[in-house]
Amino acid sequence: MSALAIPAQTPWWRSRGVRRFARHRLAIIGLVMITLLTLACIVGPYLLPYDSLYIDLRARFAPPLTGYHFLGTDPLGRDVAARLLEAGRISLLVGFFAMLLSTMIGTLIGVVSGYYRGAVGATLMRIVDAFLSFPSIFLLLALAALLQPTPIMITIIIALTSWMEVARIVEAEVRSLRERDFVQASRMMGLSSAHIMFREILPNAMGPIIVAATLTVARAILLEAYVSFLGYGIQPPLPSWGNMLNGAQQYLSTAPWLAIIPGITITIAVTSFNFIGDGLRDALDVRSDHM
Amino acid sequence: MAGYLLNRLWQSVVLLVIVSIIGFAVLNLTPGGPLSQFALTPGMTQEAMDRIAEQMGLNRPLPVQYLDWGWRLLQGDWGTSYRDGQPVLDVIGRHITATLLLMGTSTAFSIAIGTWIGIHGATRPYSIFDYTVTIGAMVALSIPTFWFGLVGIYIFTLELGWLPAGNMYTIGDGSVLDYLHHLIMPSLVLSLVNVAVWSRYMRTATLDVINQEFVKTARAKGLTERRVLMKHVVGNAMVPMITLAGMQLPSILGGALVTETVFTWPGMGRLFLDSLGYSDYPVVMGLLMVSAILVLLGSLIADLLVALVDPRIRVS
Amino acid sequence: MRMTDQKAKFAATRRQALKMLGITTAAGVFMPNLLGRPAFGATPPETPTGRIVVGFSQEPTVFNPLMPRIEVDDGVHFSLFDTLFRIAPDGSFTPGLATEVPSIENGGISEDGLEWRVKLRDDVKWHDGEAFTAEDVKYTLELIVNPNFRSWRTTGHTLVRDITVVSPTEITWKMESAFAPYLSFLADTFIVPEHILGAAEDPNTAPFNNAPVGTGPFKWGSRTAGDHVELIANTEYFGEGPYVERLIYKYIPDLTVLYTQFKSGDIDIIGSQYITPDNYEEAKTLPGKVITTVSTATVESIYLNMERPQFKDLAVRQAIYAAIDKQTIIDALYYGLPTPTETYMPQESAYFNPELPKQSYDVEKAKQLLDEAGWVAGAGGIREKDGVRLSFTNSTTSGNHLREQAQQFIQQSLAEVGIEMKISNLPPAVMWGEFWTQSQFDTAMVGVIFMIGADPDVTYRFHSEAIPAQGGRGANTGQYQNPEVDALLEEGGKTFDQEKRKAIYREVQAKIRADLPFLPLFQNMTVRGRDAGIEGVEPNINTRIDTWNTGSYYWAS
Repeated sequence: MSALAIPAQTPWWRSRGVRRFARHRLAIIGLVMITLLTLACIVGPYLLPYDSLYIDLRARFAPPLTGYHFLGTDPLGRDVAARLLEAGRISLLVGFFAMLLSTMIGTLIGVVSGYYRGAVGATLMRIVDAFLSFPSIFLLLALAALLQPTPIMITIIIALTSWMEVARIVEAEVRSLRERDFVQASRMMGLSSAHIMFREILPNAMGPIIVAATLTVARAILLEAYVSFLGYGIQPPLPSWGNMLNGAQQYLSTAPWLAIIPGITITIAVTSFNFIGDGLRDALDVRSDHM
Repeated sequence: MAGYLLNRLWQSVVLLVIVSIIGFAVLNLTPGGPLSQFALTPGMTQEAMDRIAEQMGLNRPLPVQYLDWGWRLLQGDWGTSYRDGQPVLDVIGRHITATLLLMGTSTAFSIAIGTWIGIHGATRPYSIFDYTVTIGAMVALSIPTFWFGLVGIYIFTLELGWLPAGNMYTIGDGSVLDYLHHLIMPSLVLSLVNVAVWSRYMRTATLDVINQEFVKTARAKGLTERRVLMKHVVGNAMVPMITLAGMQLPSILGGALVTETVFTWPGMGRLFLDSLGYSDYPVVMGLLMVSAILVLLGSLIADLLVALVDPRIRVS
Repeated sequence: MRMTDQKAKFAATRRQALKMLGITTAAGVFMPNLLGRPAFGATPPETPTGRIVVGFSQEPTVFNPLMPRIEVDDGVHFSLFDTLFRIAPDGSFTPGLATEVPSIENGGISEDGLEWRVKLRDDVKWHDGEAFTAEDVKYTLELIVNPNFRSWRTTGHTLVRDITVVSPTEITWKMESAFAPYLSFLADTFIVPEHILGAAEDPNTAPFNNAPVGTGPFKWGSRTAGDHVELIANTEYFGEGPYVERLIYKYIPDLTVLYTQFKSGDIDIIGSQYITPDNYEEAKTLPGKVITTVSTATVESIYLNMERPQFKDLAVRQAIYAAIDKQTIIDALYYGLPTPTETYMPQESAYFNPELPKQSYDVEKAKQLLDEAGWVAGAGGIREKDGVRLSFTNSTTSGNHLREQAQQFIQQSLAEVGIEMKISNLPPAVMWGEFWTQSQFDTAMVGVIFMIGADPDVTYRFHSEAIPAQGGRGANTGQYQNPEVDALLEEGGKTFDQEKRKAIYREVQAKIRADLPFLPLFQNMTVRGRDAGIEGVEPNINTRIDTWNTGSYYWAS
């Protein structure tokens, strides 16, 4: 994203500084939104008058703003607001841990294959390509459809299908870094390969990794939502943003809020992470090859 | 060139083998199986289930099953579906058209719109339009596709009654208009994400080109801004777009599958879900392989096209 | 499932029938013409006219009727093929390809039940014009037990010996041992053409399997995979009908879309799995549609794995049962549609035992039962006894919303009594795989049809030798064992006197109700809908699918 395009006589509000500020403002908005959402998910359930699991069949399908059901109730008469926040805990945790795990896998594979060129590197990168060459949703669904869908399992499955991007970025980064002077120097000093890979090279590749990791959280939340929507993800009574949408299609005409509210929440959370990732990219000056 | 092609081909074959091993392992190592749907049949006994499993070769050791499958594949036999006993390729072939129709319509639409937005934004960088579109694109990328589809159904089918809730055509109609009527909502939903992707890439690519010397030269020669844009900028900015089209294929395919499930579109995504539910392993494996081949082919064609379009790039 | 002796009269079985009426109630207004023929007015057209589109939520894919098949496949088979005799909604048998239903009275079955003689119609043609003969029946019966053929159920067929074609219209065979339910199995065995399938290299992969040729009221038209199957009227049909020119089975994978398309008129009859209960109220108000509620033989229950230590104690099973608020589940979650039940037998069956004790929702009684049995509150308020916690997992197919809702409701009810029920739902392929067949579950929420047609034999579900997890060959996945029930089931298999059979199977139900190896919730009720212009639609509780008599369907002009 080159900034050289700006002609010299641009007005002040088009200046590079303003642009960066604007970008960062988005990142700040994202950060604020996600912080608020996370706080709400942590504290909210204690403040609401209803438990997310409490079933009251007399109060089913109450529309939003019925009594203290601010966001209405679901087919079992449970408070949607309470479930939404409870679901947020699970969805955000799944997203976060899936990111951690996939970043670790991706970094490990990326570093190793970037450092050892030749057979090891080539084989590893072929595996990366293989994973990239089927739509991850295929792999994700196949795994989720056939395994016990607990939150931990879903986290692992999502991580297993989304580490490739990180691996690629890290591999490219490491490949260019390994010829640098400081790496050559370390090698001459007789440091072990592991030491050079993880203590010398990796810290220098942190920028792109952090950006990719942030975007992976966004992606993981979307993936969880999709798998749970299809009924292969987090299982009730545990709520997740995705499985709150599962079944919502059935009540679309009678209780549209069941579909609309979780969807908007997912969008807000994912947008926030995307904004943050975008801001980080600018701040860390990472080339934007990968969106 | 021939050497390059051979090399690419060889790499693709290795990739496909890895894909098939991963797929086969995932499918077969997990519990359950294609017979589970008969478990509740009145009068069905374990004896009969064991016999059917034996006849289908389901109780052979996994490596044997894999090698058997692979060996047949090499001879062009993709196996037969557990569900309707049809050759896997036929089964997929009958669903692939629907998916390609959806993908094609949506891709054409999103390239057109995305390109326009991208160029428009790049020539007016940091204008209100540019900001709105940049933010809009990021939000669009964050909306779950299936949910957007649901909202679409809610508004346009349930509330307004303008568009059908699903399917590809009305039985007994099937005219072009009828197809189009059914195509509108799914293809627009699928386009949402793609427009966002295209416009962002196009914007970046256009910005890169705009600043290059030859554009400045063209401007200096006194060509109108519009001519410069159309002749020099857009043409050159399109080159990386071709590569992108190849790279985007898996995600467009994935998106199509998601969209198909919401709109009961009878394509490969629908087939994949049905086959998974049934544990129709031959078809699931076939779909994995076909989509992998599509993706590899897509990126290969994209690379070749780039080489053709842009003489500066030499494939080596 | 072995039957040895047969002294009683088979005829009784048929004559007195297994009075199974598909109870049908009209929605909204009272409609006298709901069952079968209209009282006045419409008559079927002279020649097949018009088109009927039936929507299914699962895709029919198996067209060889002898191969493993699911309900919606049955739906298509009934239109394309015929059986020797059919099972009517009231549980009686009526002739199909056979001229009469064999019985001891008419000499079709020998006194000892071992020798069978079936007379066939001489006016039946296959869709390709070839004549149907006894050779086709022989071929069909032999193909089913051919070890190289991937056939569906073989129960009963494996007992058949010495099939002899006496003439083109007569066939005889011997049974290795008498087997009363065989008539029911035969009523579900479609006859396939020998001249086509027999000529194929491998019947498993014959072209026939995707372009079937039958004798039924409709001929194969075409199939658009993943979308629909189109059948065309067989004007040469020997039986009633067909009255419509084209019959289309449309696959719509989503129940909401299925209903939407029914509303919009894209489909004329909403087939399996019908209208979801939550749409019932709205559906009743649809203009130009007939909405009926039809009882099915599926009994929804919570299956207990009797080998789990928690469930060894009868008091625990009784307490759990008492703590389930059945009526609220039915009223609130299922919109009051299903009928509460205490047994596996549909109430329409002649064998139904109406005198079983009624469950009532009683938390105090549940607590008292557990207290008396020595289950006292331990950590976290969960009761325990001798180191066994009163905690278990309940599983069902993930994505079944109504069941998931019921599960969560029951979970909350049980918690009040100090019982922990965890929910772990699985994708269908996993749930009904070894997890179910090899009894790896704690408890399962499941809808099961226990009947085979209208026959009450449940040996394969409840006999102690039918437990797959213990090397048995049946489908007793709850691992229920009761020597008295075993003895009764064995006796029931040998007995052919209708009244004696009734007594036996009522006793079986009473024993099972007392033992509670599964907790019966309710008998399913489906909400069906069709365009008001369609006549001839008749529900049949003895078939797995509603489209069993499509030959009689017609548009009232």
